[in-house]
Amino acid sequence: MGVLLVTAFTISTHRDSRPETTQARVKRVASEVRCPTCRQLSAAESDAPAAEAVRVAIAKRVEQGESDAEIRAFLVSAYGDDILLKPGGSGVAGLVWALPVAAFVCAVAGLALAFRRWHRVGLDPTADDRALVERALAGLPSAAGSGSSKGDR
Amino acid sequence: MTTISVPPRTGTRRHTALWVALAVGVLLAFLVGVLATRDSAADKLAGSPLLGKPAPEIDGKTLAGDRLTLSSLRGRWVVLNFVASWCVPCRQEHPQLVDFDTRHRAGGDGQVLGVVFSDKPGNVRDFLRENGGDWPVLEDPQGQIALEFGVRGPPESFVISPGGVVVAKIVGPATADGLEQILASSTGVKR
Repeated sequence: MGVLLVTAFTISTHRDSRPETTQARVKRVASEVRCPTCRQLSAAESDAPAAEAVRVAIAKRVEQGESDAEIRAFLVSAYGDDILLKPGGSGVAGLVWALPVAAFVCAVAGLALAFRRWHRVGLDPTADDRALVERALAGLPSAAGSGSSKGDR
Repeated sequence: MTTISVPPRTGTRRHTALWVALAVGVLLAFLVGVLATRDSAADKLAGSPLLGKPAPEIDGKTLAGDRLTLSSLRGRWVVLNFVASWCVPCRQEHPQLVDFDTRHRAGGDGQVLGVVFSDKPGNVRDFLRENGGDWPVLEDPQGQIALEFGVRGPPESFVISPGGVVVAKIVGPATADGLEQILASSTGVKR
């Protein structure tokens, strides 16, 4: 098992260390960018002319030696942050990441509180509960001494 | 038969429901407020990262075959209009652009500059021949001018000051009056 893991790790590391071709890089960067006119697809997936324009622009900038971050910054400078499929982690865009986490934490906390309350209520009857049970038992025919058959139970 | 009376529960659950309903109500009111205060479709000014910044330089070929740069139009207002012959709102706004261009071209203080968006140059040439408008229109075969300006679909127009600064972006049909208002309110823009 260990040999298998080491072999897999070696292969994956070797694969990652290969230089990325220009075409692959253009495709990768384009896959992180929204098609400007269709919005549901990335610029890498869409056949729309605007998506093609994005791919052409990325290819030109890759050839000019720009980094991925510089290319993304250029697109954001024209379209704004929402051109990126993966929103940024700061400012208003950061809410996209923060809100689901906050909602999850609130939900877990709410459930924990609810379970705790239900648990406590189940184990520790209040004085009112005890009085209610006592009153109920006192009113039963067996408690009053009138007797009952087993079949009544 | 014995009746067991259950004492009424405390109002905790009712209060929780009340708070949840209140929170949902506030959220809905906020959404209604946001939607109700949005600009109407006519002359809808849109946000753009380019606003207040120098317009990206354009160096292209017009439908007439001439070379034209945006910087060569410095000193006058430019309404950069992305247009397509298949675009119905473009046909709707066209007379307004003709009105604006006629008014300002004569005085030499402004003009329209068109850019073909996802259309054949010949179609746009025919469209202008049929509907008027003799301003220069640039070809954009690879969509790179539209990309530089962050255009998503026609018609979109950018008002560029005589100093070359983008002062407004209009998504949808522009009107001559709306453009005049933008020019009037932007006279303080650095030239």
